[in-house]
Amino acid sequence: MDFFHAHQAQHYLVLAAMLFALGAAGVVLRRNAIIVLMSIELMLNAVNLTFLAFSRFPLVPNSPMGSFLTGHAAVFFVIATAAAEASVGLAIIIAVFRSRTSVNVDEFDTLKL
Amino acid sequence: MAEAILFYLFAIGALFAGAQVIFRRNPIYGALSLVGALFFLSGIYVLLAAHLIAILQIIVYAGAVMVLFVFVIMLLNLKEEELGEQRITAWKGVGLAAVVASFGVIAWRALGPAFPQGALMQGDRRVDNALLVAGFGGVKTVGRILYLASILPFEVTSLLLLVAVVAAVVVAKGRI
Amino acid sequence: MEVTWLHLVPLLPLIGAAICGLVGKWLPKSWVYAVALGSVLLSFLIGLRAFIGLGEQAPFFHELWFNWFSAGSLRVDMAFTFDRLSGALTLVVTGVGFLIHVYSVGYMEEDAGYWRYFSYLNLFIAAMMTLVLGDNLVAMFVGWEGVGLCSYLLIGFWFTDEEKAYAGRKAFIVNRIGDFGFLIGIFILFNQVGTVGIAQINSAVLPLGVASIAALCLFIGATGKSAQLPLYIWLPDAMAGPTPVSALIHAATMVTAGVYMVARLSHLYVSAPGVMVVVAVVGVLTAIWSALIATSQNDIKKVLAYSTVSQLGFMFIGVGVGAFFAGTMHLVTHAFFKACLFLGSGAVIHGLHGEQDIQRMGGLRKYLPSTRTTFLVATIAITGILPISGFFSKDEILGQALHTRAFSFLTLTPDGSTRLTWLGPLIYAVGSFSAFLTSFYMWRCYFLTFSGEYRGPENVHPHESPSVMTLPLWILAALSVIGLVLGLPQAWVHGTGLQHWTWEHFTEDVFSRPRGGAPEEFSPYLGYGIALIVGWAGWACSYALYFKRGLAGDELLTARIHALRRALANKLYVDELYDFLIVQPFWALARGLFRLVDATLIDGLFVNGIPALIAWVGAMARRFQNGDVQRYLAVTALGVAALLYVFLVRG
Repeated sequence: MDFFHAHQAQHYLVLAAMLFALGAAGVVLRRNAIIVLMSIELMLNAVNLTFLAFSRFPLVPNSPMGSFLTGHAAVFFVIATAAAEASVGLAIIIAVFRSRTSVNVDEFDTLKL
Repeated sequence: MAEAILFYLFAIGALFAGAQVIFRRNPIYGALSLVGALFFLSGIYVLLAAHLIAILQIIVYAGAVMVLFVFVIMLLNLKEEELGEQRITAWKGVGLAAVVASFGVIAWRALGPAFPQGALMQGDRRVDNALLVAGFGGVKTVGRILYLASILPFEVTSLLLLVAVVAAVVVAKGRI
Repeated sequence: MEVTWLHLVPLLPLIGAAICGLVGKWLPKSWVYAVALGSVLLSFLIGLRAFIGLGEQAPFFHELWFNWFSAGSLRVDMAFTFDRLSGALTLVVTGVGFLIHVYSVGYMEEDAGYWRYFSYLNLFIAAMMTLVLGDNLVAMFVGWEGVGLCSYLLIGFWFTDEEKAYAGRKAFIVNRIGDFGFLIGIFILFNQVGTVGIAQINSAVLPLGVASIAALCLFIGATGKSAQLPLYIWLPDAMAGPTPVSALIHAATMVTAGVYMVARLSHLYVSAPGVMVVVAVVGVLTAIWSALIATSQNDIKKVLAYSTVSQLGFMFIGVGVGAFFAGTMHLVTHAFFKACLFLGSGAVIHGLHGEQDIQRMGGLRKYLPSTRTTFLVATIAITGILPISGFFSKDEILGQALHTRAFSFLTLTPDGSTRLTWLGPLIYAVGSFSAFLTSFYMWRCYFLTFSGEYRGPENVHPHESPSVMTLPLWILAALSVIGLVLGLPQAWVHGTGLQHWTWEHFTEDVFSRPRGGAPEEFSPYLGYGIALIVGWAGWACSYALYFKRGLAGDELLTARIHALRRALANKLYVDELYDFLIVQPFWALARGLFRLVDATLIDGLFVNGIPALIAWVGAMARRFQNGDVQRYLAVTALGVAALLYVFLVRG
């Protein structure tokens, strides 16, 4: 099949897009704050996949060799940042849960006009 | 051949797990599904010859972040009745439609005119760049990028992690 | 001759006004008096010194004080010219003004706002000096407006009384109408001559149409300022102000500004003979109109006010027939005796503690001897029954009107068959009748006030005024007598030293001659005879009706000509007519515009509409911020989708 010999990027990109859409849908649709955070993690993973796909199948041929791996470096930082963000986000959820005993995001609506 | 089978296997697994994350009511099931999705994605990373990243995904992402998630879920200990009902509003429909539209656009583009494949051309033949760069995706090469080209983001990220640690402790504590 | 001290004449009273106005409230009373009187006295002395210095070598003094502004080809300087005419007027204004300041010290003794009064009075003198000495039309206009302002301030001096405040407002507004004409005149002249300097305008050669329109517009300003038909209505109401104000502004100085302006621009008016006809006709009509009204007034100040309007009409007759020297001579003598009359009436009012109705006076000769004597002298002057100043000046005007040649070449029909030579004698006849009426009503006023027995209430005891008030009366009465020198006929003084003191000789070089030329030397004796007969006839009628009978004379007249007397007593209903024709339509227009434009359009659309719009937009926008994070994310997703579409699909 063309897929094997050519080893194209499209499949990975479409997969990444699907995962991203799933994550975004989860963010928009779910009320539970923890589920929302997990959906965000899913979106970040989709982004990671995209980075790696482009790192493996770059858009511009004949580039200097070292720069192929900048995608990997980006994914590295994404993972680290996702870890930081998840921990702080969960800390916030715990703090809010303490005062409101609820983790439903549509009940956290005091930041408004 | 093998790669195709593995790819589809892992892809379907990841998608299924991801769907479970957003559709399950109980957050524990969602967390565990996410762990599964991360594993499947890690397999796909290996297919993309990103070995270090795959390992890091398992160790850091699935092994630390998701553990944290599970701990917090267990800490909150939400009863069955406390988990709220799902409410569907108009805006959520709008958001969903937007998400689907974004996906459609990306997919259309991705599946459109051919993406360039591979990096180098030797004459008329494409050469898979994973084979060209020695140790593509390995520790040494990725480390070289990290410590030489992007040393600043590296240091900043370590600072960011420090800040996150402090912030998480401060925010989650009842009394400072 | 160029000098550098001329600007002190208007400047010193201005400084005095500033001091009295700004800090006068907290200064001791004597200081305020010293500053106010001192500044006017200094101006007078400077003027006197300059006047003496006028001679063969220096026919005039000129000073360019500073350049006010220049725009394009227009250059307006604050510059002053002190020649024989303006010099004499300077002396009259500052001299009579000083006497009135002295008088005011006594009159305003008990008034708490005396410092304000003296500030305005000084400001007036400063503005009047700017008007008289101004060497170009704009400087003159500055003074013109300034005296209008001071008139408003002083008429409405007791502004807490609404009626008095309205009188001030009326004066200002009616003046304004005239000022509009004045401005148009200035514009036309600048456009045609290229400068606003009076000397240049006088020596410019203008086409007949242009000169006529310019002169007419300027004359409209004069009708406003000098209270001629149709804009005289403010002067009787202006009697609401303190009496010294009436004396200074509305008798001696401000109202004469119109006459002065016409005389100053004599060359312009001579080149527009049609306008001179208008001036003379307006003058004579005003004279008889207000003389008729004055016969039926019972407020002593109103009688004098209408008398002033009438006498101003005489002055305009003088300048209208081309005898500019006659009109201005009457201006000077009128300043003396009219100021004396007004100040005398003020003494009467002061002595009766505010009574102004002559029906409640009478027999005051016993209680106010000084006032009575000076009033008598001034009345003799104005009615001309004895040959003192007023006799000569009034008769000169009428004589010049009779013999004038200014209308002799003015033709009504193209073939020249009809000339307006009949206009001069007609003016003479009507003017003489007005003189008869003048004598009649002035003597009525005198008899009803001073003769007979006291008709006032029991509790009011008339008393004489303090000497600070009677001294100016005596000085003005003396001047009224001495002023006869100004009007002595040339035949009598030819070749003697007195000739230099006659006004005609004095102002010989200042004025222009009408196109028809000066009338031949005519014998004045016939004119004197007729004038004496007319004056004595008025005295006789008045004596018969009022001397012994008092108010019964009024009743006798009323019984005979009931309707006419009632109309005259009601000022011939002019104010009511103006109100109906002009004031009410304006108010209706203003109300309509207010309702339509202001309330509906501006308030509705802009003042209220825009906030309503903003509030509505805000309410719309507020719905975007309800704190629901998921909605924010939905919107963000929408934006992302749009961006992706733009970048990926459209490139």
